[in-house]
Amino acid sequence: MSGVDQVRKGRGGRIGPALRAVPRTLRDDLWRARPDPLPPGWRDWQPAMVLLVAFAVFPTGILGINQAIWQYGLGQGPGVVLGSIPPLAVVYAVRRPLPAWWAVTVTMVLIAVLAKPRSPQMYPWTGTGLALHAAALFVLALRMRPRIAAEALAISVLVGAVCTVAAAPVHNPDLYQATLIFSVTVLVGAALRGRGVARNQLVAQAELTAEERSRRTLLEERTRIARELHDVVAHHMSVISIQAQVAPHLVDDPSDALRENLAGIRTNAVDALAELRRVLGVLRSEDDLSIGMRHTPQPTLERLPELVENVRGAGVDVDTRITGERRPLSPGVELSAFRIVQEALSNVLRHAPGAAIRVEVGYQATGLALRVANTAPPATDVAAAAGAAGGGHGLLGMRERVAMLGGEFADGPIPGGGYEVVARLPLGSGS
Amino acid sequence: MTVRVLIADDQVMVRQGFTVLLNAEPDIEVVGQAVDGLDAVAMVDELVPDVVLMDIRMPRLGGIEATRRITGHADAAAKVLVLTTFDLDEYVYEALRAGASGFLLKDASAEELAHAVRVVAAGDALLAPNLTKRLIAEYARLAGTPRMPAKGRIGDLTERETEVLSLIAQGLSNAEIAAGLVVAEQTVKTHVGRILVKLSLRDRTQAAVYAYECGLIRPTGY
Repeated sequence: MSGVDQVRKGRGGRIGPALRAVPRTLRDDLWRARPDPLPPGWRDWQPAMVLLVAFAVFPTGILGINQAIWQYGLGQGPGVVLGSIPPLAVVYAVRRPLPAWWAVTVTMVLIAVLAKPRSPQMYPWTGTGLALHAAALFVLALRMRPRIAAEALAISVLVGAVCTVAAAPVHNPDLYQATLIFSVTVLVGAALRGRGVARNQLVAQAELTAEERSRRTLLEERTRIARELHDVVAHHMSVISIQAQVAPHLVDDPSDALRENLAGIRTNAVDALAELRRVLGVLRSEDDLSIGMRHTPQPTLERLPELVENVRGAGVDVDTRITGERRPLSPGVELSAFRIVQEALSNVLRHAPGAAIRVEVGYQATGLALRVANTAPPATDVAAAAGAAGGGHGLLGMRERVAMLGGEFADGPIPGGGYEVVARLPLGSGS
Repeated sequence: MTVRVLIADDQVMVRQGFTVLLNAEPDIEVVGQAVDGLDAVAMVDELVPDVVLMDIRMPRLGGIEATRRITGHADAAAKVLVLTTFDLDEYVYEALRAGASGFLLKDASAEELAHAVRVVAAGDALLAPNLTKRLIAEYARLAGTPRMPAKGRIGDLTERETEVLSLIAQGLSNAEIAAGLVVAEQTVKTHVGRILVKLSLRDRTQAAVYAYECGLIRPTGY
């Protein structure tokens, strides 16, 4: 005692509040705490688990009632009631482990108080009571924080010891046995829970990483597209600036007003270019553009035959069908249409090698319709196609391009095992 | 003496525009228009222009490869002036390494355009020295840039020639170098000529690129 007092005096400042916090902590932990939610996959199985536990517990319960009535001399009424609480509590523990544990513990005390034992064996727990108490502790350790499990374990053992000392007529070594059983049970439960928690964290981490990656992919794709479109604008702007300079040379005696006007156009074009260069500098990333792309003009639908020819060169059967009156569209639409077809073709090559492809381009009054569809790949190649994972990047890009132009996009499997990509790009007023 | 110019660009508006602007200058004559890189290479052989205005992005054969082919001959006379929408671009730097003598923004004014053609044709100074220097400094320092093939060795230069080379690389014209070293401009011209011969370089732009890439000049401030 004096030692404790010394410690209290020495560190009174810290230990005092810590001790005062104990009841509150216990109340929070052992009264209010909620068990971990079941893993998503398990939730559906909860009724089945309850049933399974009920079946397992049923014989133990019958045995427990018998023991309570005869071995502990509780009589019919109290014996049945007190004997049936622990098994019911263990079944209930699947849903709410904490109240279940309380029920088992309190029952244990009641039995100890009311018992008129015929033999000193297994006191204060009946044999089955010990097993059910351990089961309740196990479920609790499985579903709740280790600290709560440790507290429950400590209280179980403490209450058992008090019951033994206060009520047992003789010294009973069963308490040590119970302590050992409870400790091992709680330890195993806590360890299993720890493993589950770690796995859940891993899964959550993986989900987060995947989400992060897809967000980054989206951003990269948008940046790439924005860059291309800005690039097109910049080229047109530089032509405007040249033309505005050239125009006065084309008339014999240009008036001052005309010169001034053209100078204004040029100034604006040059300013716009300066802005565009800044934007493009921001959008430029280290690795986004292949060298070939910057050395050649941005593609338009005019180069569609060339593209298709390249794919045919890879030994793929490509059928092109162009409907409507072919005419030049706004550069953004032309570029996007070309890229969409290009991505769709490369997707087919990647994911359905050997499939025949049909490319349809429809020039309509208000929009451009694109459809790239492929037949089912030959059976032998399906495995190879499935192996070529990492798709979706192309689709993402197509979707983004179409969205930027205010068009519609759809993709999905078609009857017969093929796949199709359909896009409709509005032409707007500019074309 | 008029400077004979060939314009290579796939956009007809650009070709015609530059033709009008350059033909308005008394000392410059546009002798031909090429629609792509292959066309440009063929027309250079045929027309022997002094300066080629070369777009970087062209179908069939891009401007950089076309520049390489045009300036690749030992006796190639045509100087290439690269047209670009974006300055300080690694492709512009590629073009310089491929043998271009300078670069110009497509939206340059008529005066800038004519000036660029004259400077490149004369070869006495770097075009847009500050910008060119920055471009070279920026890209020469990038890791992974293959070193220029060691045509000649910097060790072959005399001390004075090395000094002149570093001044060229800093964008100084012959006249400025002469003033700085307190010698006649003709002497500087002789030095420059010897440097180019010893290092097998075609002009001072190439000399500047060489000086940065071989480490004679250490880019500062980047």
